[in-house]
Amino acid sequence: MRAALAQASLTRHRGRTILAVLGVAVAAAMLLDMVMLATGMRESFRELLLSRGFEIRLAPKGTLPFDTDATIPGVSAIIATLRTNPDVREISPVLGASIHVLAGNRDVSGSVLGIDPSVQGDYELLSGQDVAASNFIVGNDHLLNQLGAHIGDTLSVAIGYDPQTRTYSGQRKLILTGRVKFIYGANDQSSAAVRRETLEAMGGQNHDRASLFMIRVRKGADAERVRDWIEKQLPNVTAISIATAIKQVDERLSYFRQLALILGAVSLFVGFLLVTTLVTVSVNERAGEIAVMRAIGVSRSHVVEQIVIEGVAISLAGAVLGLALGLVTARYLNTILSAFPGLPMAIDFFLFQPRAAWSALGLLIASGIGAGVYPAWRAASLPIAESLRREAIA
Amino acid sequence: MLAFLLASFLFQTPTPIGRASVTPDSPQPRTIAIDEALAARANLKVGDRVSVSARPGVVGDTVIVGAIVRRGADPSEVARGDLLVRMHLDQLQAISGYGDRVDRFAIATTPGADIPRLIDRINRVAFGFKAYESREIAVETSRTFQVVSRFHRAIGIITIVASSVFLLCIMVLKVDERRRDIAALRLMGISRATVVRSIIIEAAVVAVLGSALGVVLGWIISQIVNWHYQALYQTPLAFSIVTPPTVIFAVALSLVLGIAAGVVASLRLVRTPPLALFGR
Repeated sequence: MRAALAQASLTRHRGRTILAVLGVAVAAAMLLDMVMLATGMRESFRELLLSRGFEIRLAPKGTLPFDTDATIPGVSAIIATLRTNPDVREISPVLGASIHVLAGNRDVSGSVLGIDPSVQGDYELLSGQDVAASNFIVGNDHLLNQLGAHIGDTLSVAIGYDPQTRTYSGQRKLILTGRVKFIYGANDQSSAAVRRETLEAMGGQNHDRASLFMIRVRKGADAERVRDWIEKQLPNVTAISIATAIKQVDERLSYFRQLALILGAVSLFVGFLLVTTLVTVSVNERAGEIAVMRAIGVSRSHVVEQIVIEGVAISLAGAVLGLALGLVTARYLNTILSAFPGLPMAIDFFLFQPRAAWSALGLLIASGIGAGVYPAWRAASLPIAESLRREAIA
Repeated sequence: MLAFLLASFLFQTPTPIGRASVTPDSPQPRTIAIDEALAARANLKVGDRVSVSARPGVVGDTVIVGAIVRRGADPSEVARGDLLVRMHLDQLQAISGYGDRVDRFAIATTPGADIPRLIDRINRVAFGFKAYESREIAVETSRTFQVVSRFHRAIGIITIVASSVFLLCIMVLKVDERRRDIAALRLMGISRATVVRSIIIEAAVVAVLGSALGVVLGWIISQIVNWHYQALYQTPLAFSIVTPPTVIFAVALSLVLGIAAGVVASLRLVRTPPLALFGR
């Protein structure tokens, strides 16, 4: 009965109701996007870090992995120290450098990782063969496209460019054996990987150095405890666990989280205001009707429920429409932010999670109920006799 | 002369800073300038003696904090959380093992100089480096900011759509609420055109007053946003600026939408017989 009356009231002014639903839909879309932005970035980053099961990363003291060109000396000694902790399961040292691949008259520059293929966690092999020998190299699609190279080609690879003498510190021929996808690499970045000893030999002075260590801990071990132990044992490194990495990224990207919070709150408030205004106007117009209902014995709670249902119905309809609209706009906004220079391909700023959708829906329904409360209170407290008299005079 | 410590150097070789222990017969240390963030984090003040080194855990040169500086408004540095030290160029070259090298030269030209010709001339004779116009470097280093700017523009468009629907809805409701007044006017013999015109004028006045209030509110929010983010990132960068074109756009949009809503709603009402508007 209450629902039927609410429906009748909403369909009486179709145009007005449709406009209100549209307004709530846009606000709901914005709210969903902002909830996705606030939670998705962190979740996406966490998934990325955990994708290969390495819970701890070691970077040169005071830096984040590959944030600088600094390297950590004494790889063998560090590995020996780490091996003394039974909770450390696997260690993957990685050396990074700038690379120049010379193809005819062209010089394609990019980055190269020196890795141990048996424990590496930086890339996935898409086709071909991994760097099984010291004269093998694998590259990503961007590098291969830039070079016009194919698996099996021999590439002239150089590192350590000195702009003053226009010479390289190391140059050698390597066979392109595989096509890979770098997990932490950006779309617009040419990247390659070779064995660490190959890169060290080419670098000349980079012996027994690494830019980064990635560490897998034993199943069930407390990664934070291992991290604390490493920081005590190795004063020259910064040990970063997933939790600390997320905290650091949170600090850097706090702007987006705060923006999401502010815009989400504004969207919710706009939706609330719209529904409140519409239902209040509707109640004012129907003051006579409501007075008649009350005069023939309809209870206050019945009137209140009917009006709250109207508010919730508008919010719900707007939310459903807004969900679809929100997903489309989130995809568009994500495409814009994906163009951040150096951002890993796998990072999504807007990550759809059912929890985010439920949160947005819950907030909208709560706001719909809240929006109906004031007009419902006004309707329930209408003086019956006076309202009827005013209606009769009008 | 204090040389600018290039930010890129800091990224490549982290320079740890700690309290120095110097003997009384040490030569007079040289001075450095540090940024506010570093001063706050390391609890340093002007006159403090610290040790700077290019390697962690190694006691390096003792220097005196000569100045605490506020960083420039560089968008590319915002949110990185880097700490900046400015020191004498030769001292930096010595502690970093950089030798007689620099990362870049900044060249000031005389007013009216032919910059492209100068760059061309440098590049023709240069060996081992390349000259760029400052504008080119600014474009390259502000790529991150351009992405943020595109994102803001997209959010702005969505906000405009949302506020347009909101404004349209409110104006329609407002005019709709006047149905009985309009019916009375029509029954008194006031022409349809006069009624429509009066409603449009009313809608325009409401839209202008609303947008004026919105501009004031927007300016206050803009001040709060700047105050908050400047404190958060310790930068003088302006995050939000209310410009005359923004104000003109906002007022014009709300005026157009207000008038459109007034036209739509009033035409609908004047076409309805007055008695029907009374609900009879």
